Amino acid sequence: MRGPHPSEPPQPPDPRAVFALAAYLSLFAVFTQTLWLMGALLILAASSAILLHVDLARVFKKLKRLWQVVFTVALLQSVFSPSGEVWFSAGPVVLLSSGGVAKGLIVLGRLAILILGGSLFATYGTRELIQGMIQLRLPYEIAYMVSVGIRFVPLMGEELRDSLTALALRGVVIKELKLRQRLKVYTYLLLPTVAGSLHNARALAMSMEMRGFGAFPQRTSYFTFSFSRRDYLLLAATATLTLLTGAVMIRGGVT
Amino acid sequence: MADKRAAVSLIDVRYAYPGSGAFSLDVPQLSFAAGVCTAVCGHNGSGKTTLGKLAAGLLRPSQGSVLLEDEDIAEWPLGRIGKQVGYLFQEPTRQIFAPTVLEEITFPLTLNGMEEEQAQELARTMLARFEMEPLADATTFMLSRGEKQRLAIAAILVNRPSFLVLDEPTTGLDARRKGILGRMINTLAEQGVGILLISHDAVFVRRYAGVTYRMAEGRML
Ligand SMILES: Nc1ncnc2c1ncn2[C@@H]1O[C@H](COP(=O)(O)OP(=O)(O)OP(=O)(O)O)[C@@H](O)[C@H]1O
Ligand SMILES: [Mg+2]
Repeated sequence: MRGPHPSEPPQPPDPRAVFALAAYLSLFAVFTQTLWLMGALLILAASSAILLHVDLARVFKKLKRLWQVVFTVALLQSVFSPSGEVWFSAGPVVLLSSGGVAKGLIVLGRLAILILGGSLFATYGTRELIQGMIQLRLPYEIAYMVSVGIRFVPLMGEELRDSLTALALRGVVIKELKLRQRLKVYTYLLLPTVAGSLHNARALAMSMEMRGFGAFPQRTSYFTFSFSRRDYLLLAATATLTLLTGAVMIRGGVT
Repeated sequence: MADKRAAVSLIDVRYAYPGSGAFSLDVPQLSFAAGVCTAVCGHNGSGKTTLGKLAAGLLRPSQGSVLLEDEDIAEWPLGRIGKQVGYLFQEPTRQIFAPTVLEEITFPLTLNGMEEEQAQELARTMLARFEMEPLADATTFMLSRGEKQRLAIAAILVNRPSFLVLDEPTTGLDARRKGILGRMINTLAEQGVGILLISHDAVFVRRYAGVTYRMAEGRML
């Protein structure tokens, strides 16, 4: 069944193998502070997305909205902890330094990798994703949390727009704020989006419970996945990469 | 109903969502009077929310104009519109931002330069009007839907808008809280605020709206 027929579009890999890859990418993206490692992860994430036929144009559109955040971080880092070469300053105040820009780029890289990692699942339905996680023996509460988290990535754009509108109507116009206030508002903007998806996750977990999920220790499923050779290869590659990247980070003291 | 000035008028307004051909809104002439609660009813998908967003300047008409106290708001930024217009979204979670109830009301005030103490005092008065004072320090995330709804309304009213759009404000409210909201609407109307009430709740509309319009397929009936 799984062997790709030359005339048919190739079947996507087993979602569990993609989980492993996405988990690897996001884990290191969150922890690394090194620009070149971030770049390497980004290239890997982008090529995986291309191989999985993800609509990259949409991902870029999402990232475009985040430029302002990156610029703000770069500016704040340059002003409060200038490092590296000073590129631009107003009197004694450093406005832009190479260290600050590097920090800004790292934030952008991190967000890009997280978004790309989430987009790897775009080709799978919720049903497939949850089945994959259940076969990984994840408790279903976590399975739901994760799957809703994945759903939350593409939704962010639209919810964010509504929230920005609501904020503006209440007299909070981000463009008119001072930097420090701006940062506070950015954290505020996370609340409605995150709270919304957490709420969904809770409701879903509860409704599943009421339908008898978890009542029996062993769940019966209508369909199950089995690994193909390609899936094993993907898993092995991910495992190797995880070890390598981990070793690089520990050896180089780069965290 | 002392005041018959138009708070908001729509003139020859047409609107279609970009990229979806099925629905279009067409309103030749419609005014929401200051000091009156005007209700709009209609089936799901008839265009009530779209009308509300156009009236509040959240959507820009493809054709025609929207006047806010006789001024065309086509070029106004949202921040300026927000000084006069309050909008309650159908989904309240999208307009609750702060971690605690009190802070949700105070943060726009302090961001705009009000002293923290004064903002808190104002916020507590507002919360008391909605019987939410005991919840002042509660985490917004844990609030029930009805409580979120009331908090969102309280947060809007603290800006003293002269025109208010309430999209399904009674969803999730119990009978007692509906009563409080209804009386609040009456009080605001008496103070000269123009209110657009979008609602399926026929009893509530009959009781608290001064004027009622019906909509179907993007047209006023
Ligand atoms: N963002 C959008 N993009 C495209 N079409 C939309 C969008 N929002 C609403 N529509 C469509 O416009 C029509 C009117 O929607 P609207 O939300 O104004 O209806 P409503 O009367 O408020 O319905 P309800 O009672 O369910 O709240 C619907 O057919 C809807 O599918
Ligand atoms: Mg609606």
